[in-house]
Amino acid sequence: MSAIIVDNISKKFRIPHEKKNTVFQNIVGLIKRQFSYEEFWALKDVSFEVRKGEAFGIIGRNGSGKSTLLKIMAKVLYPDSGSASLDGKVASFLQLGVGFQPELTARENVYIYSSILGVGRRQVDRLYDEIFDFAELRKFENMKLKNFSSGMNVRLAFATAIHAVPDTLLIDEVLAVGDVAFQKKCRDKMNEFKAEGKTIVFVSHALDTVKELCQRSMLLNEGRIVSMGDTEKVINDYWMMLKVK
Amino acid sequence: MGEGEGDTKTLSSYNTNHKMWERRELIWNLTVVDLKNRYQNTSLGFFWSLLSPLLLALVLYFIFRHIFGREENFAINLLVGIMAWRFFANGTSSALGAIVGKSGLVTRVYIPRQILVLSNTLTTLISSLLEFIVLLPIIFVLLGYLPVTVLLFPLVHIIFFFFVFGAGLLMSSLFVYFRDLNQIWQVVAQVLFFCSPIIYPLSIIPDSIMPYYRLNPVTQFIIMYHDVMVAGHLPSLFGIVLVIGFAIAAYLVGSFVFRKLQRRFAEEM
Repeated sequence: MSAIIVDNISKKFRIPHEKKNTVFQNIVGLIKRQFSYEEFWALKDVSFEVRKGEAFGIIGRNGSGKSTLLKIMAKVLYPDSGSASLDGKVASFLQLGVGFQPELTARENVYIYSSILGVGRRQVDRLYDEIFDFAELRKFENMKLKNFSSGMNVRLAFATAIHAVPDTLLIDEVLAVGDVAFQKKCRDKMNEFKAEGKTIVFVSHALDTVKELCQRSMLLNEGRIVSMGDTEKVINDYWMMLKVK
Repeated sequence: MGEGEGDTKTLSSYNTNHKMWERRELIWNLTVVDLKNRYQNTSLGFFWSLLSPLLLALVLYFIFRHIFGREENFAINLLVGIMAWRFFANGTSSALGAIVGKSGLVTRVYIPRQILVLSNTLTTLISSLLEFIVLLPIIFVLLGYLPVTVLLFPLVHIIFFFFVFGAGLLMSSLFVYFRDLNQIWQVVAQVLFFCSPIIYPLSIIPDSIMPYYRLNPVTQFIIMYHDVMVAGHLPSLFGIVLVIGFAIAAYLVGSFVFRKLQRRFAEEM
């Protein structure tokens, strides 16, 4: 059974020769008849399926379209053609701590961030202790976020996000947070999710983590799928590709 | 966070409203955050913000009292007009940046983006309600009584809210593509201000241009505020139909344009 079906997605970005983002520049552009822009296919005919309970890795060089693909799956970007369908409640971690308010306390921010992720107040009430224990920030719950170190910030964000209890997780390179001990905790949590039958799509440059977490993976290059299948094999293909260049 | 039925097509209006209702907790949280930030977490913050319209009203009163002083209730009409105008002016100009100013919530996470404009406009609505509450005792003192029709104020304000929300949807989405819209809007808003019966009474407008003058939606709303809060008149049925029409039109146009433009928001930020 497929939890994620990505069907023939293509995404085109327009790169105008001259960026026109004011009314004035647009009028000037109209008069001079400059409409020229370059088209750039960030993704071209990408299709794949992920089974329920599977962890799926996406690797590739910078600019290969990994993040664009994840953003389309997260419904932040719209594809020019094709479609993506995802099962159940989807949590996308494109960045941690979106909407954090420095002037408010850690406690208030947990509730706000949770509501952004679609978690209701009552559910946060129930998970509150767990979140702060996981983040190891129990002592600082009433401190304003502006006084937090960046490490504390990220830990709080990750702990909150991880308790959003989704069915499908989209993760873009955010596991490398905190110190070694905290990273281990994050990986354990991911494995726990896997054991619970949650579906994970994982975008990363950290090939070791991909190998550890994902059975199957996909290699993207210039917006196209180069290789897909067993993670070990895909990572080998990636090395081959880099060597050839 | 997505609901996961995977439709990447433009959501219908019904769908959008349904999703926004599901996210009402988020809307409220964002509104509270906005309010806290706007008033810098001080209870005096609100009173500071009240100072500027009251001063403006005072100054305008002393300037114009010799010209319009014989007009009935000129001072109170001036105050009410300025407060109503503030809701429109602050609501639109702050909604203008609702999308661009919250780029993280647009490019890093999925939420129905109308929520950002709605919570922004709700923030202005709450500030405006507080201002009108302060205004009530002032009206009572200056007028000697409070007209019963004040009870209709919430109705007028809600209709005006939808008008402002619609305008906010339109402008916040256009602002993503045209970053000089805030300067353009300042000029347009100033023209609207002087084309509405705020600092002068409606009676000075010559009959010949009156039909055109009344096409300004803000004029209709200001007349209605004057009617229910000062004169104690029931608004005319025609007036009510007209302002509801304006509000529905603004909302429909705003949400239509917003839905079309929001597809490329994340790319344009």
